[in-house]
Amino acid sequence: MLSVKNLHARIGEKEILKGINLEVRAGEVHAIMGPNGSGKSTLASVLAGRTDYEVVEGSVDFLGKDLLELAPEERAAEGLFLAFQYPVEIPGVSTTNFMKSAINEIRTYRGQDPMDAVQFLKMFKEKMAYVNIDQSLLSRALNEGFSGGEKKRNEIFQMAVLEPKLAILDETDSGLDIDALRIVAEGVNKLKTPQNATILVTHYQRLLDYIIPDFVHVLYKGKIVKSGNKDLALELEERGYDWIISALD
Amino acid sequence: MLEKTLVDSIKQNHSLTQAQQLALGKFIDKGFPTSKWEEWKYASLKHLNEFNWLWSPETLSVNFPKPDWKHSAIIQTLNGNTHSEGALPQGIALLSVSEFMAQNPTFESVWNARNPILDQNSLYDLNEALATDYAVLWVKKGVKIAEPLLHHYFVLGQQDTAVQSKIFIYLEEDSEITWFEQQRSESSHAILSNYVQDIWVSKNAHITLIKDQDLGQNITHVDHTFIFQQESSLVDAFTFSINAGYIRNNLHFYIDGPQVVSNLNGLYIPGEGQLMDTHSVVDHRMPHSESNELYKGVLMGNATGVFNGKIFVRPDAQKTNAFQSCKNVLASDRATMNTKPQLEIWADDVKCSHGTTTGQLSDEALFYMQSRGISKATAQTLLLLAFVQQVIDKLGHDEIRAELSDKIVNKIQASLGLTI
Repeated sequence: MLSVKNLHARIGEKEILKGINLEVRAGEVHAIMGPNGSGKSTLASVLAGRTDYEVVEGSVDFLGKDLLELAPEERAAEGLFLAFQYPVEIPGVSTTNFMKSAINEIRTYRGQDPMDAVQFLKMFKEKMAYVNIDQSLLSRALNEGFSGGEKKRNEIFQMAVLEPKLAILDETDSGLDIDALRIVAEGVNKLKTPQNATILVTHYQRLLDYIIPDFVHVLYKGKIVKSGNKDLALELEERGYDWIISALD
Repeated sequence: MLEKTLVDSIKQNHSLTQAQQLALGKFIDKGFPTSKWEEWKYASLKHLNEFNWLWSPETLSVNFPKPDWKHSAIIQTLNGNTHSEGALPQGIALLSVSEFMAQNPTFESVWNARNPILDQNSLYDLNEALATDYAVLWVKKGVKIAEPLLHHYFVLGQQDTAVQSKIFIYLEEDSEITWFEQQRSESSHAILSNYVQDIWVSKNAHITLIKDQDLGQNITHVDHTFIFQQESSLVDAFTFSINAGYIRNNLHFYIDGPQVVSNLNGLYIPGEGQLMDTHSVVDHRMPHSESNELYKGVLMGNATGVFNGKIFVRPDAQKTNAFQSCKNVLASDRATMNTKPQLEIWADDVKCSHGTTTGQLSDEALFYMQSRGISKATAQTLLLLAFVQQVIDKLGHDEIRAELSDKIVNKIQASLGLTI
């Protein structure tokens, strides 16, 4: 589904990704872990198409398309989703209107007719029940004045509505208490199918107690320096990152 | 040029009173404002000195489309002449200022003591010198009209024309009206539309004033709206500056009694080749009153915007609450916005705050929206419409709100080449 080859990216003069290789197939959950500043969030941002970063080398194939050639909205329409570490406040635009615009632009991109209000509302209600989110939150301006937990839950709700083929969750666990974490993780697990894939970007092992990864990768200084299965995450929890880093440096 | 055409025109057309002659002299001395005048720094009208103006515009009649929701009388001001079409509601009269003063003999001295701030305003002098028709809308004591009164303000010309319009709204105690003013034009020539509107709001009276400024590209519109508020009166003012080559709004509030509330809401959305300048004055002269200013601007193309918000809290105006907010979005890298809040506070027991911001749409917000599949153009439109909606939503009248909202949305989308 996703094939990242020798990806180098920089912001300004600073090279942050220094040759990432990553293969993600349908049905898989990958966790990308690593110490602060290792390039985890940069990888997520580059895949989603944030223009602050310049890709200097490498390629990214997503379902047979050159991902790096696509605008962020085209990537979304192709089935990529990024759950933000810090969801952005959109003053004056409700989640409902926001999602209606998103769904219909994506449908237009895919050559489908736009959803009418009745269809949209029906779908919306189903998804609300699915991730257990309250109507009152959705009629408020998106993320404005939301608590950390509400913002993250809203991200998962948007993911449920958009049904991405590949979801990238950037530090979704940060700033969440244990109850909120559980709710968010349950949402992610429910949305998992054999046809879609998930990349979890996280600093801590905590989230991986709730969402079990098939693969764990350790990112350090812009490269994946170690890959393994879920046991690697447990080992990192126990021993920290130092034993990997010291073996490298 | 200016002096010659003015003097010739006056010789031909009418004789001036002593006060008018005095005002004309002041105007000829000063001429049109230039960028050297602090109050006109970004909105010079110096080039108007060079036009061969027709100073006494013809009185023409036009067919003005009537909005669907408006069934009763309309007040029209066509090239400076005001009349009503249809019967005005019970308790409201339209008459000349001389008739009005004759019927209210004690008012004249009160009126003459009102003392507005007129420095650097040569256009006010010009209006005083040349306005020939000065109509008064008189709202009698206790008269409350729920349906908005529609005012068609219209300028037109078949050559370069200077139009002076002047109108006075007098609300007696406990009265209440909504004045919805549509400012329009029709001309392929330059027009100077110089408009003075005085509003006297007596004790416990309430006026909602809505100005919908949608004029042509060759119109220079200077709007002097001076509002004098007495004890416990309420004014909700809305200024929507949608189109015109040049708009200058001098909107003044003189708070002459306690328990007064003055709400100023404004939205300006200049596009290519347009300049929109708001100079507001809120003069707190008496204690225990409140003013709230909310201004927003979206500047597109190579537009210029100006906001100068003056708040005076005089020594007697203790327990004043005065708030001012002016937020602007530059939707083009060729647009400019000049803001200057100006607070002068002489009383010590007051609450005042002000804030102005000018920025671009947030890249973070745009990227967030794009990452959900929304194109950049749609994302920009959604953000800008949400930004302006805050001012539009304060309008209480559904039909007027819908009409203005459509017009504002269309202008923004057309100016930025966006669709939704």
